[in-house]
Amino acid sequence: MTELLGNYVPIAIFIGIALVIGLALLIAPFAVAYKAPDSEKLSAYECGFNAFDDARMKFDIRFYLVSILFIIFDLEVAFLFPWAVSFSDVGWIGFWSMMAFLGVLTIGFIYEWKKGALEWE
Amino acid sequence: MTAELLNTSLQLSVPELMLAVGAMVLLMIGVFSGERSVTIVSGLAVALLIMAGLWLVLFTENGAAYGGAFLSDPFARFMKVLALIGSITAMVMSVGHARAERIDKFEYPVLLVIATLGMMLMISANDMIALYLGLELQSLALYVVAAINRDSVRSTEAGLKYFVLGALSSGMLLYGASLVYGYTGYTGFDEIARVLGEGERPLGLVFGLVFLLTGIAFKISAVPFHMWTPDVYEGAPTPVTAFFSAAPKIAAMAIFIRLVSSAFEPIRIDWQQIVVFLSVASMALGAFAAIGQRNIKRLMAYSSIGHMGYALVGLAAGTQAGVRGVIIYMLIYMVMTLGTFACILAMRRKEEGNVENIDELAGLSSTNPFMATMLTILMFSLAGIPPLAGFFGKYVVFAAAIQAELYWLAVIGVLASVVGAYYYLRIIKIMWFDEPAPEFAPVAGELKLVYGLAGLFILGYVFVASPLGLAADVAARTFF
Amino acid sequence: MYHAIVFLPLLGALVAGLFGRSIGAKASEYVTSLFLVVAAVLSWVAFFTVALGDSETLRIPVLEWVKSGSLDVQWAFRIDTLTSVMLVVVNTVSALVHIYSIGYMHHDPHRPRFFAYLSLFTFAMLMLVTSDNLLQMFFGWEGVGLASYLLIGFWYKKPSASAAAMKAFIVNRVGDFGFILGIFCLYMLFGSINFQTIFAAAADFAPHGEQASDVVLTLFGMSLDKADALTWTCLLLFMGAMGKSAQIPLHTWLPDAMEGPTPVSALIHAATMVTAGVFLVARMSPVFELSHDALTVVTVIGAITAFFAATVGLVQNDIKRVIAYSTCSQLGYMFVALGIGAYGAAIFHLFTHAFFKALLFLGAGSVIHSVSDEQDMRRMGGLRKHIPMTYWMMIVGTIALTGVGIPFTVIGTAGFFSKDAIIESAFVAHSSVAGFAYVMLVVAALFTSFYSWRLIFMTFHGKPRASADVMHHVHESPPVMLVPLYILAAGALFAGLIFHGFFFGEEYAEFWKGALFTLPENEILEHYHHVPAWVKLSPFVAMLLGLVTAWYFYIRSPETPKRLAQDHRGLYQFLLNKWYFDELYDVMFVRSSKWLGSFLWKKGDQATIDGLGPNAVAARVQDITGRVVKLQTGYLYHYAFVMLIGVAALVTWMMLGSAF
Repeated sequence: MTELLGNYVPIAIFIGIALVIGLALLIAPFAVAYKAPDSEKLSAYECGFNAFDDARMKFDIRFYLVSILFIIFDLEVAFLFPWAVSFSDVGWIGFWSMMAFLGVLTIGFIYEWKKGALEWE
Repeated sequence: MTAELLNTSLQLSVPELMLAVGAMVLLMIGVFSGERSVTIVSGLAVALLIMAGLWLVLFTENGAAYGGAFLSDPFARFMKVLALIGSITAMVMSVGHARAERIDKFEYPVLLVIATLGMMLMISANDMIALYLGLELQSLALYVVAAINRDSVRSTEAGLKYFVLGALSSGMLLYGASLVYGYTGYTGFDEIARVLGEGERPLGLVFGLVFLLTGIAFKISAVPFHMWTPDVYEGAPTPVTAFFSAAPKIAAMAIFIRLVSSAFEPIRIDWQQIVVFLSVASMALGAFAAIGQRNIKRLMAYSSIGHMGYALVGLAAGTQAGVRGVIIYMLIYMVMTLGTFACILAMRRKEEGNVENIDELAGLSSTNPFMATMLTILMFSLAGIPPLAGFFGKYVVFAAAIQAELYWLAVIGVLASVVGAYYYLRIIKIMWFDEPAPEFAPVAGELKLVYGLAGLFILGYVFVASPLGLAADVAARTFF
Repeated sequence: MYHAIVFLPLLGALVAGLFGRSIGAKASEYVTSLFLVVAAVLSWVAFFTVALGDSETLRIPVLEWVKSGSLDVQWAFRIDTLTSVMLVVVNTVSALVHIYSIGYMHHDPHRPRFFAYLSLFTFAMLMLVTSDNLLQMFFGWEGVGLASYLLIGFWYKKPSASAAAMKAFIVNRVGDFGFILGIFCLYMLFGSINFQTIFAAAADFAPHGEQASDVVLTLFGMSLDKADALTWTCLLLFMGAMGKSAQIPLHTWLPDAMEGPTPVSALIHAATMVTAGVFLVARMSPVFELSHDALTVVTVIGAITAFFAATVGLVQNDIKRVIAYSTCSQLGYMFVALGIGAYGAAIFHLFTHAFFKALLFLGAGSVIHSVSDEQDMRRMGGLRKHIPMTYWMMIVGTIALTGVGIPFTVIGTAGFFSKDAIIESAFVAHSSVAGFAYVMLVVAALFTSFYSWRLIFMTFHGKPRASADVMHHVHESPPVMLVPLYILAAGALFAGLIFHGFFFGEEYAEFWKGALFTLPENEILEHYHHVPAWVKLSPFVAMLLGLVTAWYFYIRSPETPKRLAQDHRGLYQFLLNKWYFDELYDVMFVRSSKWLGSFLWKKGDQATIDGLGPNAVAARVQDITGRVVKLQTGYLYHYAFVMLIGVAALVTWMMLGSAF
């Protein structure tokens, strides 16, 4: 039983550290930050939109472009984790498979960069 | 997986690897040399497809790769060659229209290559996951291609509709696959067949089968999963439509055949009913709905729906002769549809650009007799008039259905082709007997070549019927 | 030689018909005329060798034609005296008409076509008369019908000509229907349609003993024994003959056929084609002779036609129509002769009639030609001085037709011998209707004489009634038209004198050599030579009476006929309107057929068959199409909905269908 609980100690530590850092970052600004409030700053942040507005308003398509591109690369990490933890088991074939995968991703990345998809203007 | 196995797998999939790597290289070439590179990228893409096809014909052997998920067999090779021919022809035909149709982007040939890669993977797929991968790779490329003329409302609408409905169908396919996996415990076709062969046939599995086939029926635009077809055919730029109507149909029909003939062979009774339903509905709708059309691309959409129905007649037979019939039918269908689209692409005037109304063909026999003759041959063939190829295509599938004692299906097929003959004949009538419309601009050489060759093939099909039949026989024997 | 006789006209027709445009009208005329002249000369040679020589019946095979089951038909020429007589008649008149047409048609732009038709007709007629079996005869029979149709409608731009052509063709169809049924019956009875087989079997066919009442044929629901079967067969064959030879009640096409060019009338509608019916009965005499009832019908029909046509001829004003009714009437004479068993007399009259009637027609053509295509005799008159040769030729034709001659001697014109022979035979015949026939024929002879002389007087005598303009242009015809008239005139004057003994006289047996069959009890030839004197005189008196009346009416006192017509208005109209046959047929057949036709067309075909069949299917297809197209709304959610419905339907179906 103790052994079982002992297995979770690192997680508990992890949660504890996370709490400390989070709270510190929340509280610190009250103490040290320079305060110059205006209406923009006080309103809720909704990705650049008004929080309460017509649902059919026009908005810039680039928001989506950026977020889609972000999500694509974000999701690849989901493949990298299992690969990383079983790295010693998959061998060279596994290694090169991931390299090929990343290579394809890189090609895509180069393409979107060159096309200027990452530039706002 | 050992290095040796990997080596075999790589060798069996060299054409696919060529296309995959080639597509990436072409993408890099395109993106680094800017928009002006469209011509060279197109040329290289065609060369790449031809090389892949040559390698496929000359060097690829039979065998299973990647743990049985990828099969290289005579059937796969035959259908891949067809798909490659379809892609190459469509790409060649689009060169002259790139500027007018605003598809003069280097991404266009790259996307076609990727779609072709998806088709080839799909044709070879012997596992649900491989099937889905191939299907999605193809579909995603096609969604983009459909909407590639992004300044055109109709083109973007077509792309959007295709995408949404395609996503729906993919969802159904995945749901079906997961049901099948759930009831059999496998995703590989061979293993599924083995489990089903032991006599298991739970209702949930049949549900899975329905959903799976629904997903594929969407791709071959069989009724009632055809709704996207007319809108997409009409909305997409004409060269894209030409591409849509040929190669993807081949690939989807190939995976349809493989799925029911290998994985679900033991429960033929069940899928036969589905195929018969799809077939009858498609033939009927293809025949009736096309009559009301004024736009020739839309008409061709209904025509292709109808033709998929006829092809499915052969599949419904569930015999080797039936599969052979479907293969021959798809071959002939592809030639006919590519030839017809070459003619449609040639419907262009200097001042108006491309026109799509059937009435624009009026009096073509006097303004461009060669094109009118070829289009007449194509239309007669689509209607199934002997001794043209279209007749033999219908003949083999109907004969297979009769051998399998599906008499009424054959009768419905014949009746539908009678109704369907009307709108093909109407086009012929308009071309030969109506007051001439203004002349079309001179036809590009590659289009003349395509419809000339297609007309020649259809006219002379009787002479090549026997070697083609033998090849189709070999391909069909893969499953029996 | 016989091949040449039959096939030269065909060759001419092909040359003129297919290459007429390239070789030109002149060449077409000469080629066809030359071929016909050659054929005519050869025909005379054949006549002398076969009929006057002592040659047996010849059978010259051309080719195997039809061989199916027990039906074995060869295409062959049967050459006996009857055939050779017909060859002479057909080819001689045809050759003369060809030559005459060169002059008569020289204004017409379509001469190659005309000559091709003429030669084609001649070929078909020769096929008919040389036939060795009924199928071949039917081929020729229809061939002449076709050629007649084409020639009557030669000026197809004239609506009346087209209508007349159609009328001739359709009325003939009625007869042909009977003819072909008759052929079927003969095949049923004798198992063959070859003349030789039929004639050989016919002699023994006569019923005797207890088999007499055996049913051998079922026709129109009637079960017939041998005698009745034979009678019906003969009547059906005679129906064909009635159609072709314009006997009552199938005569109505002949007067209308005068819409064709006059040479055509001379060749087809006087000399040759219309006599095909006479030829048919004569040829089938071995069969007809066995059926007494059928012969009675032939006699009655012939007598009525002779009388009827003569009465109508009395009041007609169109010069060609008068001659046409005269033809009709003379054909009636021939049928009377056939009906009473005097086949020789019938063929003799056919032979002489060909000459004088062709002469009259060609003469009338010459008249018409000279007065600028006017055919109404009321607008002629006084032409004698302007066209004397034509006048004299017409006189010759008329005296031949009316039978001028000196009784009890051998001096006389063609009609004197042939027509009077028929009248006298009718008197002595043993038929129950012989007396009736005799009276009819004598009255008809009186009328014949009257209308013939009326024609002459109205056309050539009296004051000119044509406009001055027309009279100014009157001119005698060119020699190319007159020479054929001379030749025919010679025939009309002397044919009777020369050939009387052969056809129906002392040398009957040696001449015919069995080509005409008569039963042993048929002794008409014997009786004919012993008729009372007053009977021999009667046609002569009738002829004189007619001449005198005509002279009185049209020379002496031209008011008399007008007054007569006014006094007997009803009778006059009755005759003028040809006994109202056309009107009767119009009501009985034409209108009811048209009504039935339009009923079947509008209600039957368009409304029912088309309406429920193709058109309905097409309309339903359109409806379905309309609905199916409406399914394609363009809304994405509709599309997705359809897909989901499809899946749901399939799943439901599989659930219900697979009985778990």
